[in-house]
Amino acid sequence: MASTSAAARYVGQSVKRLEDPRLVTGHGRYVDDIVLPGMLHVAFGRSDLARAAITHLDTSAAEALDGVHAVFTAANLNSHNDSLRASLHPPESPAPPANMLADGDVRFVGDPYVMVVAESRYIAEDAIELVDVEFEPLEPVVDYETAADSEIHVHPELGGNLAHDLPVPNPAQQEAFENAAHIITETWHQHRQTNVPMETRGIVASWQPHAGVMEVWASTQSPHEMQLVGARVLGIGEHKIVVHFGDVGGGFGQKMFLGREDMAVLVAAKLLASPLKWIEDRRENLLASNHARIEQMTVKMAVDEDGNFLAADLDQLEDDGAYPLGGPATPGAMATMLYPGPYRMGPVSWRARTVYTNTCGRGAYRGPWQMESVAREQMIDRVAREIGMDPLELRRRNVLKPDDLPYQVSTGLHFETTISPEQTLEQAAEMIGYDDFRAEQAKAREQGRYLGLGMALYIEPTSMGMGPLGTESAMLRVEVDGHVNVFMGTGSHGQSLETTIAQLVADELGVRPEDVTLHQGHGSGYGFGTGGSRSAVIAGSAARAAASGVRDKVVAIAAHLMEASADDLEVADGVISVKGTPAASMTMAQVAATAYQNSDALPPGTEAGLEHTARYKAPPATHSNACHICTCELDPDTGKVTLLRYVVSEDCGVLINPMVVDGQIAGGVVQGIGGVLYEHCVYDESGNPLASTFLDYLVPTAAEVPELECGHVVVPSDTPGGHKGTGEGGAIGAPPAVFNAVADALAPFGVYPNRQPLDPNAVLSLIASASD
Amino acid sequence: MADVVGLLAEHGDDAKPLAGGQSLVPMLAMRLTRFEHIVDLNRVDELFGVESDNGGVRIGAMTRQAAVETDAAVAERVPLLHLATPHIGHFQIRNRGTIGGSVAHADPASEYPAVMLALDGTAEIASASGTREVAASEFFESTFMTAVAPDELLIALRFQAWDQPAGFAFDEIARRSGDFALAGAAVGIGTDGAGRINRAAVGMLGVGPTPRRAPSVEAALMGLAAADADPHEIGRLAADDMDPIGDVHASAEYRRRAGSTLVGRVLASALAQLTQEAGNG
Amino acid sequence: MADQVPLSMTVNGRTRRGQGEPRLTLADFLREQALCTGVHLGCEHGVCGSCTVLMDGEAVRSCLLFAVQAEGAHITTVEGLAPDDETLHPVQEAFRDCHGLQCGFCTPGFVVSVAAFLEANPDPSDDEIRHGIAGNLCRCTGYQGIVAATRQAAGVMRGGE
Repeated sequence: MASTSAAARYVGQSVKRLEDPRLVTGHGRYVDDIVLPGMLHVAFGRSDLARAAITHLDTSAAEALDGVHAVFTAANLNSHNDSLRASLHPPESPAPPANMLADGDVRFVGDPYVMVVAESRYIAEDAIELVDVEFEPLEPVVDYETAADSEIHVHPELGGNLAHDLPVPNPAQQEAFENAAHIITETWHQHRQTNVPMETRGIVASWQPHAGVMEVWASTQSPHEMQLVGARVLGIGEHKIVVHFGDVGGGFGQKMFLGREDMAVLVAAKLLASPLKWIEDRRENLLASNHARIEQMTVKMAVDEDGNFLAADLDQLEDDGAYPLGGPATPGAMATMLYPGPYRMGPVSWRARTVYTNTCGRGAYRGPWQMESVAREQMIDRVAREIGMDPLELRRRNVLKPDDLPYQVSTGLHFETTISPEQTLEQAAEMIGYDDFRAEQAKAREQGRYLGLGMALYIEPTSMGMGPLGTESAMLRVEVDGHVNVFMGTGSHGQSLETTIAQLVADELGVRPEDVTLHQGHGSGYGFGTGGSRSAVIAGSAARAAASGVRDKVVAIAAHLMEASADDLEVADGVISVKGTPAASMTMAQVAATAYQNSDALPPGTEAGLEHTARYKAPPATHSNACHICTCELDPDTGKVTLLRYVVSEDCGVLINPMVVDGQIAGGVVQGIGGVLYEHCVYDESGNPLASTFLDYLVPTAAEVPELECGHVVVPSDTPGGHKGTGEGGAIGAPPAVFNAVADALAPFGVYPNRQPLDPNAVLSLIASASD
Repeated sequence: MADVVGLLAEHGDDAKPLAGGQSLVPMLAMRLTRFEHIVDLNRVDELFGVESDNGGVRIGAMTRQAAVETDAAVAERVPLLHLATPHIGHFQIRNRGTIGGSVAHADPASEYPAVMLALDGTAEIASASGTREVAASEFFESTFMTAVAPDELLIALRFQAWDQPAGFAFDEIARRSGDFALAGAAVGIGTDGAGRINRAAVGMLGVGPTPRRAPSVEAALMGLAAADADPHEIGRLAADDMDPIGDVHASAEYRRRAGSTLVGRVLASALAQLTQEAGNG
Repeated sequence: MADQVPLSMTVNGRTRRGQGEPRLTLADFLREQALCTGVHLGCEHGVCGSCTVLMDGEAVRSCLLFAVQAEGAHITTVEGLAPDDETLHPVQEAFRDCHGLQCGFCTPGFVVSVAAFLEANPDPSDDEIRHGIAGNLCRCTGYQGIVAATRQAAGVMRGGE
């Protein structure tokens, strides 16, 4: 069970972040701040066509430009790589051709076909304009709904556009459908969005000839993935890659994996033996990093007379684009498997398909399989409307209650007793004042004002314990002066790990958070990095175990030196003292100095030094859950939606730092709001991206979002600290909650939205369709 | 300034005057446009500032939007400019962006061109051969194209004050705070001593390839008693005066529909101001 | 390529001299020649606000200015706001207190913008704050902490607490 450490002085407190003094004063160290002697700059030339043959490519004018050091194309770059495989992608699984630069043809707008290395980025971009290239345009595959049947193949090497097709029929589902009072069907569509970290992707790579060492500074969520894939790309040992980890300006999944550009820079840096820097610009980021959420799920749900869910049949289709970042993934299979969520759903059949198109590749984006919550929660509101039941009542009727736990889901998931969906549903309903709002809404409608309420309830498997994701290590060392250094495989890029890991270590070891420094990147033990809501549980548990190991030794040494019984000692804020006799004490620094510099004084048989390494293996999943409810007002003349209130009740188990938890939720929620109401990576029919700047890809500003109200239900998980992951949840709950609120506001018009974005144009069209 | 027009005369199409740079520099940075010569106007002192002009104001082309926003003479004599300014971008943009740059750039979705058109402002344009004046109605030729020739420079804008009871209002629909308008309206309504409308100026943005007037709306207002006019009914007529273009943010149909509703709302605020003033008077 | 021109301006109270082509942006000059790497580039087309600095006291996007245009100007970057190495500016302190940042990349632009906004609007309402800071994008915080920080800093700067 959950055991917070003996003295939980810091865990649970909103400790101010240790990262902040440098970041608020402009003294962070991001990858673009790295300057090396002799460093050259990289720019990529990219396709303006969705699909085309390269009929002519002459780089001589670019090469001749003053300040240009090298120009690479597929011909002189691609053969130098060994393997581009991401660690999560099984080697035997089919994948698009591994190339860094487009070879012979281009397959989406933004596909890099030339790479210039020059003395400045300005010159490198000048040179790109001098590349003499001719394309023969070919008809592209743009519409993912028809891609599987298209005669045109995005990757001719693969012989078709279907990347995955996973049908999982369940005869019990079909049986349940036969006797159901209601069967309701809808296809739910999400639209193309992208992660938009404020810092774009970027890498600095410096090859040391003869030493054979590649030194890398990268904007990454996973320094070890950078190291492992970098080693494979270069065909060198992992020990020959040194990955420095500095500040990283957000990622939301985009920086878990290496892009083709990252690999090209690594290879070119080795070929040229010059330090290279590539900083992606915003247009490249919007066009060619990764997109996400391009998917639809057709849901059939069977419900009895009283609104009890009986069974569901799901058909998921998603767009992988041309070169999915991190390899072709199957979030759709997860989305269907997780569909039952926090309800007694009955038997479920599903099918999940993924197709290639001539568009920017799909990648992980905060809650990569959140389609399960989008489709389910929107479907539940639709069912409620069809059968004439209040949506809160329908959820109350079907939600998993404490008595139902543990619960075996028909799709194979298993929930322990450590989830609390019903509690979060009720807390959120209470916070929003559900009944009062419904009364206010009815009154407003009489006055011709359109208010809406939407809710979403979900369970999220966090901290997944499978394969390369399953473990993290912590190497912890108390230094001679008593300061604690912890080396970990994480990649904090906004999650506040320098603070939260320090809080965990502080409690476990008996020091203050400011006595602990987290070191990531080079020198740490393997771990998959930060993403997938995994660091608090997996990395946190490793840090806790490492600290615990050192603490035992600290106490043993102190007991020996103080001639006291170890059982009588307590350790807090860096002081080891005899319980009840605070005068009898020594400091962590004194113990450390003894351990390193006066080891003859240590207890007999005690190994010199004060360090311990621990590795934590996560269980298959740690489930967190939450309920989001928001309200909105819709202007029927302009189609503009204004969010009025937004409440979240969540259970991430034991909170390490409540301020940080609320911050993670808020960030995810606003990404979800942006997704439903503002953001859209629009392509035209020819595969031209139309949202290539921040004037067209609309990230919400402070003026578009309401104040967020957070409530917490704390049911500790079975992991050592009782924590559950919480990084992604906001972005999972928000889209269906916002969608449902708008749909509710639109209900008086008798229209049924089934696709995002619900921008003013879409809302007004829906209203117009009603009056037609 | 003589140096500037000299450079423009010398380089013609190869030269581009740089005002606040809030639109031009992004296009240069993204390599969507390029010029051999950029002529920076930011140190040409005589292009800055607001001065009284025959009861109205003459605003130097390089006057920053932030300065227009806080200028007392502008607020008093050309309230519509004052009302429109906060809708332009964000305060950091207005600190650099200029009134002349905005008008010369002639983005159909931006605020000042619509105000200039509504108020029949005048552009002062200089070249090596002298200065000429162009009325707003002749100034905006097509999207991003104005009467200013490559060897000419927009040096000032002139606006007359309305010497009669009047109500002014400006509003727009934008996707986010500070974004370019999907549709917007700049309205001035003046009355005679008896409260009857004898002047109506309606400029619209975002609903055509250039800023547009709404002559149908203006005609419908004329002669009505301000207190009796139904702004929402009249606003609907604006749909006939639009020639909207669809883009990634909204369809042409949306702009026409929501835009004409908005015209009605802006008319309503202008009329409310008039009746309020009449009541106070 | 155009000729290099000499550049000179005051950055955070110190004279900085350098040189560059006329097309060199102020942001690149500040980052690469004045070594103020707190000036962040998030879009280079004037929307995200990460590169905001004060030029002669006014908040501007340094990606939309050429360095030659700042010749002789007084520039303040986020590095120049704190009075000394031990003390934070009230806006910086408030961002830390209120969790107004996560990854920190947009933070320098926000801090400079908020400082300028509060100079002009010492006692803003929440709605004025939200519109006042809408010229800067943040992707991490959902703006909750930033709005709270602006509120707190306003109080401190007014001398109210």
